[in-house]
Amino acid sequence: MLEIKIHDESCRGCELCVDVCPTDVLAFDKVAHKATIQNVGDCIACLSCAFICPSGAITHSNIHHVKNFYRDLDFCRRVERFL
Amino acid sequence: MNDLEQSRQTLQETMNFMAALAAGIEPVIGRGACSMAYSAGRTLGAQFARHSQRTNDLETALAEVRNVLTENDCLWQFEAFHPSTRPSLITKGEDGSEEILLVFRDCMIRQSLFRYGHAQKGSLCYMMYGFFAGALEAIMGRRAELAIIHAGENACLKCLKVHA
Repeated sequence: MLEIKIHDESCRGCELCVDVCPTDVLAFDKVAHKATIQNVGDCIACLSCAFICPSGAITHSNIHHVKNFYRDLDFCRRVERFL
Repeated sequence: MNDLEQSRQTLQETMNFMAALAAGIEPVIGRGACSMAYSAGRTLGAQFARHSQRTNDLETALAEVRNVLTENDCLWQFEAFHPSTRPSLITKGEDGSEEILLVFRDCMIRQSLFRYGHAQKGSLCYMMYGFFAGALEAIMGRRAELAIIHAGENACLKCLKVHA
């Protein structure tokens, strides 16, 4: 089961995540001035909210991560050698 | 280099080529680039689906499209999405059209665009739109549209409409 967590102390209440979500999973709590999860069942795990959040407050678990085919193998080898 | 690394390198080279082609034609041709890519995708979809089983049921047709993609080694994994705001998975219009939401996860096009930092919803996305339109026209014999509702980093949400 997909899970979304919003780190309360990190959320600045900018509403970017609420605006970007295509399925209205997130809502804005005007009293607390923070984003809240209102409908986790409709989340498609596009991760746009997590990517757009300036403070990285949103995390998803139990989701399918796309296969990272665009990673350049030669570059990765060089970085590994460097590290 | 083992087989997996060789396949991966071949795929990466193809992706580089695709992204470079898209990035090259869009500034020169403008909006016409999307029409060209749509047309190419539609022809490809119709060709791939020419031996598929004919059906008038949307869910069966989508399963056929999925088979066509798998048989041709296309990495375009998609699934039907039923949001809580919609009464049913397939919405029927008064004109006899049918609408369904689709979520695309692993996508060669998205990966290619990210490789070079290109914007989504460009000509390559239109090629996919064309592919679905062509495949569904061949399977259902009806005109189809695939509108992009949201292009995300990990998944895209699209609305498939099949006309009566």
